[in-house]
Parts: sequence; structure tokens; C-alpha cells
Amino acid sequence: MRVKVQMPSGEMITGFLLTIILLSPVVAQDLCKESKDGFKVRISLKTALGNDAYEWNESEKFLFRSTLAYAMRKKTGEDTYNIENILVCNDTKRVSFIFVVTLPADPTQLIPKEEVERAVRQSKHRINNAFLLSDMTLEFVGVPPTLAVPIQYNTPPWLIVFGVVIGIVAVGIVALLMSTVSKRRRAKAKDAGFDQDGDDEGIVKENGTALSGLNKKDGVYNQAFSNDERFTKL
Amino acid sequence: MHGGGGFLIPYLLMLLLEGIPLFCMELAIGQKMRLGSIGAWSSISPYLSGLGVASVITSLYLCLYYNVINAWSFWYLFHSFQSVLLWAECPVNSNRTGFVEECAVASPTQFFFYRETLNISSSMEETGGGLHMGQALCLVLAWVIVYLFIVRGVKSTGVVVYFTATFPYVVLIIYLIRGVTLHGAWNGVKYMFTPKLEQLANPQTWINAATQIFFSLGLGFGSLIAFSSYNHHHNDFEKQAIAVSLINSGTSIFASVVTFAIYGFKATFNYESCLERNRLLLLNTFDLSEETISVENVTAWISQLNSTHPDTFSTITDKIQDCSLEAELDTAVEGTGLAFIVYSEAIKNMPVPQLWSVLYFLMLLLLGMGSMLGNVTAIITPLADIKVLSRTLSNETINGLVCLLCLLLGLGFTSPSGNYWFTIFNEYAATLSLLFIVFIEVISVCYVYGLKRFEKDIEDMLGHRPHWYLKLMWALVSPLLLLCLFIFYIINYIQGGAPTYQAWDKHMGKSVVKEYPIYGQVFIALLLVSSLSCVPIAALYAFCRRKTRSAVREEHSNTNTAE
Repeated sequence: MRVKVQMPSGEMITGFLLTIILLSPVVAQDLCKESKDGFKVRISLKTALGNDAYEWNESEKFLFRSTLAYAMRKKTGEDTYNIENILVCNDTKRVSFIFVVTLPADPTQLIPKEEVERAVRQSKHRINNAFLLSDMTLEFVGVPPTLAVPIQYNTPPWLIVFGVVIGIVAVGIVALLMSTVSKRRRAKAKDAGFDQDGDDEGIVKENGTALSGLNKKDGVYNQAFSNDERFTKL
Repeated sequence: MHGGGGFLIPYLLMLLLEGIPLFCMELAIGQKMRLGSIGAWSSISPYLSGLGVASVITSLYLCLYYNVINAWSFWYLFHSFQSVLLWAECPVNSNRTGFVEECAVASPTQFFFYRETLNISSSMEETGGGLHMGQALCLVLAWVIVYLFIVRGVKSTGVVVYFTATFPYVVLIIYLIRGVTLHGAWNGVKYMFTPKLEQLANPQTWINAATQIFFSLGLGFGSLIAFSSYNHHHNDFEKQAIAVSLINSGTSIFASVVTFAIYGFKATFNYESCLERNRLLLLNTFDLSEETISVENVTAWISQLNSTHPDTFSTITDKIQDCSLEAELDTAVEGTGLAFIVYSEAIKNMPVPQLWSVLYFLMLLLLGMGSMLGNVTAIITPLADIKVLSRTLSNETINGLVCLLCLLLGLGFTSPSGNYWFTIFNEYAATLSLLFIVFIEVISVCYVYGLKRFEKDIEDMLGHRPHWYLKLMWALVSPLLLLCLFIFYIINYIQGGAPTYQAWDKHMGKSVVKEYPIYGQVFIALLLVSSLSCVPIAALYAFCRRKTRSAVREEHSNTNTAE
């Protein structure tokens, strides 16, 4: 007996291929939506750029996917990551979505969350700059930002300013003290010379400071001649 | 500031009723007696030498703690010379994932003040921890500069004051122009000029207005008597007194306008940040597009979303903050520290913050240094009047020793719990004693020395009798008012229970109210008693001396007659 073996025809092959092609995004979407290895991303364009904000459309999403593929390449050192390995879903008007990363070798398997996180943290600065955004406006929910190291100084600048000021003040004090000392020495030398005017030496300490600084032309107010008694009789 | 603008009314009233008359009186006393405060009051009556001593002790306490404020100003000034101001951003933690926890909970400016500047402990009981080296250095610098100004005595002080008095005006004007152009400044100024009538009924407001006037005019510290004792005998102090007090208060009000403008800017900025945070929270929770909610209709959206999606909304109810501009403006400006925090917060949001920071802290420094000069002069003038001291040591040495002593004692304020001791001094060292001293001053001049004699002295110095308004104030209104305030203060103190202070909690990032420990309360009592008790103790001492002297004289005359 003869059995008829039917060879797959061209239409069947096309149909089969078509189903696979059409199914794969569905499969991919399932991978993205149901996965626990996905990260939610939030983008605040208006807050960051104001009037210069660009619109979030498919091309921007394309850029995002390629940037993430770059981040994965940089982290793993393998050149195998491509844009098909980054799947995006759950788009909202907020401009937030979820993405997952698939293994280049096997598109049905996902890269674990921790590895993706490490890759993102390593290249966060580059990712931010690709979109003209910052850590605040391009949020990967659950990934802590990597903050820039603050500038380290060898000597703190305040100490330098402090040193300058205290140096100037110290010089000022020394100068003042030296001039006082030299003035006293000169006064003593003058009095030693003109001993007849010995009385002039007596610095009248009426207010506790040397009156020699003040003009003595109106004399010293002698309270012995005032009318009222100095001590109130009680 | 009590009720913002409401404070203006008690302030101006106190100026007219107490400030100007008492200022005039102290100048007259100094100019007539030509001695420091101790000598001047001893001359009026030997029983009153305690008054001068009380003034000197109050000035000493003031000197001890006031220079710490100058040290803080220096610290902030020196830290303004950086590209990114240290109080603008939080420092990053060790693994660079976020900010230091204490800073994240509080704000960067508070963190910088409480942690970097003061390194404050969480309560007064935690002693130890050494000194904050940066603070100690700044305090040394502050005292060295004070010494530089007073080393030659009042002559050098006089020249310096020309600069320290005019530069702040320049800075204030610059700040005024900058301040009123800031967004939200008008809110602050409006707040300042709306009086809060219920605050006027609170006697504490009036006490604070009186002490503020005494502080800013320098009444009761002895510095006025000290300064005017160097005056020419026929100097017209009456006009000067009125001019100086009016200018001084005018400046205070002008400075308040600038402060409130900046304050309004800060409050508006915080209010809008709060609204922005709420807006972001709503956008993120409900995944709405960014254009739907704007800063203006956040509150409307909150209520709308609450009604339409109550279950989703309940997840974020505790995170939604109540934003209120009034609450921001009301955050009480308590304590000197807040002046630093509020201003540094406002400055960091201005463009070119380094310039504004340098200007502001330079102005604070000059004002503070000017005050310090007055306080230190009030101490060294009576000291130099003591013949024993002035014969053995030179002027410069006495001044240097005073500065050194104050510096060493003041270093205690740079320890971690030092700020709480500083608060004790700030609140209790000068308030009650000033009221008491000024009250006794007025009474003794009018009734002990005699108002008629005082009038004659003034006529001798000025050429005309004092104005009837001044006489009325001296004899009647001022003493009565001071007595009332004094009694209110004591009643308040007794009724208020244990005194409390604000301690900084580093885990919560805000100040919590704590009671003073026993030794703290004892110290407060000691502070108050030490300056108040000088008057009765000195009077008693003079009384005893008189009695022994008259007993000796009687004996002497008895022996004479016997011979």
C-alpha cells in the first residue's frame, strides 16, 4: 500500500512563522508584566525641562531601550545585548513603565533583578545625560541613586581664611602694644630730661584711663568746689 | 518675635516710656559723676554701690556668652568661601546611596548648625566629649579682636565704632533691595505689620519688649555710664539721648523689615516645596500625566481624588503633608540659633549665595562686635577705677586679663552640651537683673539723690532744666511700669513650673522640650540671685561699716573729752 506523505507547503510555513512572530511579543509582554524581575521607571519631563520638554514617544522609548542595552553591555562586558533584550510594558500617561531584561542567548529567560540594578547604578550618570534628566526626574523605583562624591579638600578652606584673619589681627595687636611701649619709653626719657616739670608726669587717673590722651585744656573738674554734698545724708 | 508685627506696638511704647528717659538719665549720671558705674552709684549714696556691682556682674555674664554668637558668625563667615555652601546640601553617607540620616530627617541648614557647628549632644546631662576645635578657634579669634579694639582704652574704641556702626547700614540697604525683590517677600512683610491682639494681652510680650529695649540701648549694663563718663562736662546729652535712641530703634525696625522680607521668602519657598512634594506624590500614586496637577490646584485635587478613589488614596494619607503658609511664618523664631538657621536657609536659595552669605555674616559680626565693645567697656572702666589695680598693672594688662578670663570661661560653651548652658545664660542672665537694676536706678536717682538736685545738676551741665516729659517719666511712669513688669516676671517664673529647654533630637531631626536637670535649675537660681543680691548685700555692708565707723568716732571723741 502506498501512504501519501504531505510535505509542508509554502503557506503552512508562512502561517507557522507568522504565528510565532505574532506570539513572541505576546510572550514577551507576559514576561514583562508578570515578572518580579522588572523595574518601574518614572520620568518627569515637565519638572526637569519645563518648556523645553520633549514629548515621550516611541523614538524616546527606543532610546531608552538602547541605553539600557548599553548599560547591560558595559556591566557584563559581553557585546551580545541588543535592543530586543529590553522589554517595556505598562506605559502610563505619567510617563512611567516597567522594563525587564532578557538573556541574549535565551529570550524567554530574564536577568535577575540584582544584576540589572547593579548595571543601572553603574551607568546611571550616562543614562541620565542621554535624556537630559537627573536622579530625581529619572527614577528607577527601588534603585538607590549613586550620589557624586563631594569635593575633598586637603586643608578645609575655612581654616585658610581663619589663618589669614588671625594673622592680621595678631600683627595689629603687636603693633599697637609696641607703639604704646615706645611712647611710654619716650615719655620717660623726656621727663628724665626736664625734671623741673616733674608734676606733668603725674598722669591723673580720674576715669581710670590715662587722661594724657584727652585734651587737658579745660582743666580738671574739681569737685571740692561744687555746692552739693557728695554723700547723701540718710 | 512675639506675634510678629504685634511686637511693634509694645516695642515702641516701651521705647517712649522707658527707653528714652532712662537713656537720658544714665548719660546724665555718667557725665556728672565722671566715674564708672560702681564709682558713680557709690557717689550718689554709699548704700548703692551694690547697684554698680550688679551692673558689672550682669555685663560679665553677657560678655561670657555673647562672644559665642560672634564665634558662630565667624564660623559661618569662613565657611562661605566655598563653591557649594556646606549648608546647601546634605553630606553623602558612606556607601553613597543617600544622605546622612540625621540630615535627611532634618534639613541641611539645621544639620549644619546643630551637628557641624555645635556638635550638640541630645540633652544637657551628657557632659564630656571635649571641645569643638573649630568653635574654640573662632572664639579665640573673637576675643583677640575684642582685645585689639580695647587694648588702648576708650580712645581706640571711639574710632572703631565709626566703622562698626555705619557698615551694617550699607549691608541692610543692600539686603533690603535684594529682599523685596525675592519671591514671597511680601508675605513676610505683611505678616510683620499685622498685629496679633491676643499677644498684646500676654504680659510676657511686654516684658520681652522692655528687655529688648534695654538690651539694644544698653541700659542697666553700666556701659552708658562708662562711656558718658569720658564726655565733656557740658556735652548736650539730652539731644544725643533722644537722637541715639530714635536712630537705634529706627534701625531695629528697618532690620526687622528686611528680616521679615527674607523670612517671607523662606516661608513661601518651604510652602511651595511642600505643595510640590504633595503634587509629586499624587502624580506617582495615580499615574497621572504631569500637566494635570499644577502647584496651584494641588489641594483641590487632593479632595477630588480622595472622594473618587478612596482606597488608593488611603495608602498615601499619612504621607500627604499639611501645607500652610501661616504655619511656616509662625515657626517661632526662638533662640539665637534660629537666626542662623533661618537666614542660612534663605541665603542658600538666592543666586550667588556666597556673596550674600559673606555680607550677612560680616554685618552680624560688626553688630556683635559693637555690642561686645560696650559690654567689655562696662567691665574694664570700673575695674580701672579701683586704685589698687590701676597702680600695679598697666591698662593693657588689665584689659588683657579680663579678655583672657572671659575666653577661658567661654570655652565651656564650645563643648557638646555647651549650647544648653548658653541658652541658660541667654534667657536668665540678663532679663530679670536688668529690670531690677533699672528700677533701682530710677528710684535712687529720683528719691534717694533727689529729683530737684538732679535737675540742678543737669542745668549746670546743659544750661537748661530737663524737659517736663522726662521728669514725669523719671518720677512716676517708669518706676511704676518697671515694678509691674518685675512682679509679672516673678509670678510667671513661679507659676511656670520647672523651666524647660529645647533639646535637639538627632533621630527625629527636631527639637524636643526637656526639663532642666536639678543642677541646671540651681544654676539658674544662682545666676539670678548673684546679680540681684549685690544691691542688698552692699547696702548691708555699707550700713555695718557706718555703724562701726560711728562707733569708732564716738569712742575717739569720748577719749578726747576724757583727756
